[in-house]
Amino acid sequence: MLTGGVRRFSEVDDAKGSPLAEAIFAIPGLAVSELIVSGNIVTVVKRSAVPWQAVGKAVGSAIRTTLASDAPAVAASPKPASAVSDDALYEQVARVFDEQVNPMVARHGGHVELIDVQDAVVMLRMGGGCQGCGMADVTLRQGIEGMLAQLVPAVRGIVDITDHTSGANPYFQAAKK
Amino acid sequence: MEAARQIGVELTVASEQASTLEAANPAGLLTLDFEQPDRAADAARVFATQYPIAGVVGVDDRTAVVAAAIATKLRLRGNPVHAAIAASDKHLQREQLAKAAVPIPRFMLHSLEEDPAAIAKSIKYPCVLKPVRLSASRGVIRADNPPSFLAAHSRLRAILADPETAAACGDRARHYLIEEFIPGYEVALEGLVVDRRLHVLALFDKPDPLDGPFFEETIYVTPSTVPGGLQAAIKDCADRAVRAVGITDGPLHAELRYNENGPWLIELAARPIGGRCSAVLRFGDNAISLEEIILRHALGMAIPSLQRERLAAGVMMIPILGAGRLQEVRGVAEAKRVPLVEDVQITAHPGERLIPFPEGSRYPGFIFARGETSAAVETALREAHSRLTFVIA
Repeated sequence: MLTGGVRRFSEVDDAKGSPLAEAIFAIPGLAVSELIVSGNIVTVVKRSAVPWQAVGKAVGSAIRTTLASDAPAVAASPKPASAVSDDALYEQVARVFDEQVNPMVARHGGHVELIDVQDAVVMLRMGGGCQGCGMADVTLRQGIEGMLAQLVPAVRGIVDITDHTSGANPYFQAAKK
Repeated sequence: MEAARQIGVELTVASEQASTLEAANPAGLLTLDFEQPDRAADAARVFATQYPIAGVVGVDDRTAVVAAAIATKLRLRGNPVHAAIAASDKHLQREQLAKAAVPIPRFMLHSLEEDPAAIAKSIKYPCVLKPVRLSASRGVIRADNPPSFLAAHSRLRAILADPETAAACGDRARHYLIEEFIPGYEVALEGLVVDRRLHVLALFDKPDPLDGPFFEETIYVTPSTVPGGLQAAIKDCADRAVRAVGITDGPLHAELRYNENGPWLIELAARPIGGRCSAVLRFGDNAISLEEIILRHALGMAIPSLQRERLAAGVMMIPILGAGRLQEVRGVAEAKRVPLVEDVQITAHPGERLIPFPEGSRYPGFIFARGETSAAVETALREAHSRLTFVIA
């Protein structure tokens, strides 16, 4: 869907020119707060209280419809005004990951890869023991998010683009039921 | 965590093994000894002097006991420890239910050290062997005659010999129950106890017969098609069980059967249905989750609604058809395309060893559906399941 990069959309105006983003932002009742496309992985964050089970199919349909067309699903990222600060944030977050997060999660055979920082939102991918781990969300929200809030307070959010279903060696198994 | 985020409360996640990031976020991550609820409560009290705790919620049988101990220590809303222990110990629970004349199967506690051949000659059949402290139907086996009892006993002994399983069973690892088998239709009741009063949040039908020899779950669908009068009797039976065990506050999951003699309580737990299965439940106009209701209750916050949505909903816990290592799962996209199916989640990871019941207890995935009627939802779940192929080597 998007070769060689990541594109983040935080509002409907960002979506203009990217058919996939336009289609997902237009889904009634979804109230998208964030959409991230990284390769063939699409991450949608919603404000709506409607459960994913109720709106997930519409997202899938939007993806399939967009891919059926010849036009690129996602336009290249425009150079944002905040690019410099995102670059600076990237450096700071990368340092936190290298010096603190990864040495810690390595104890469970895991690692966390910083994919990009866009509009002060960190995109990451988990691997090794973290991928598919039953505690991955705890690591992300209670651990990494808290660390970044302290050490890089300019970070506005954090998005996990990991395909957890493909994790072959999770440290903790998923819930039984 | 999502529910806490929804209602804007800060969360501390306690686990028995330390998170690798605990040092980095000491307010948000805490290690407690779940084997020692009193010690865990002491540690939580110390923790609370620095990071005040307003509510505590357990997520399974074992942490329900720890949560009760913490709630008691910190004077928070929750169950008394004795009630949480009784709810997690099948023998204690049955003793209390029997004392209160709640209809339950006849039961006997035995030790693995006793001679099974002698027991096999002395009991009535059919019966069900159950570990005292395992959940999710693990180790539960029906026996119809002495030879099948001996076979079941041997399998149960092997299950309880596993060190991790034995640790989970604590001082009950060398004991098991023999219960009378109660024929009948099984339902699951999901409830919230508020100040000793049971509110039924959902009654699930279990349309697949659970006659053994093993008792792995498959489909849960709600609303129940059980006639209204019988539903009232089922609710009354669960209500009596709640009072008998002494549960005062928090989530409740109960399994009951009914037959010509009325409802029978089969299992009771002071915890919610499993986290993934709970996704089928949503309440009120804003479709709030079961977890949000439980958190709001624990924190003394207003609960907008305990009324489940109008639509029927169901989940299938995908059965394990054979033992082996999972290579791949085919047909997920086709299963998701079945009308009314909302999601298909494969939770087993590639290379994971799948262990069928009764030795296993982990489902490889879940199918969720929602529709106008329970019958339509059940049909959709079965149709989606028929499109899945688990490749096992």
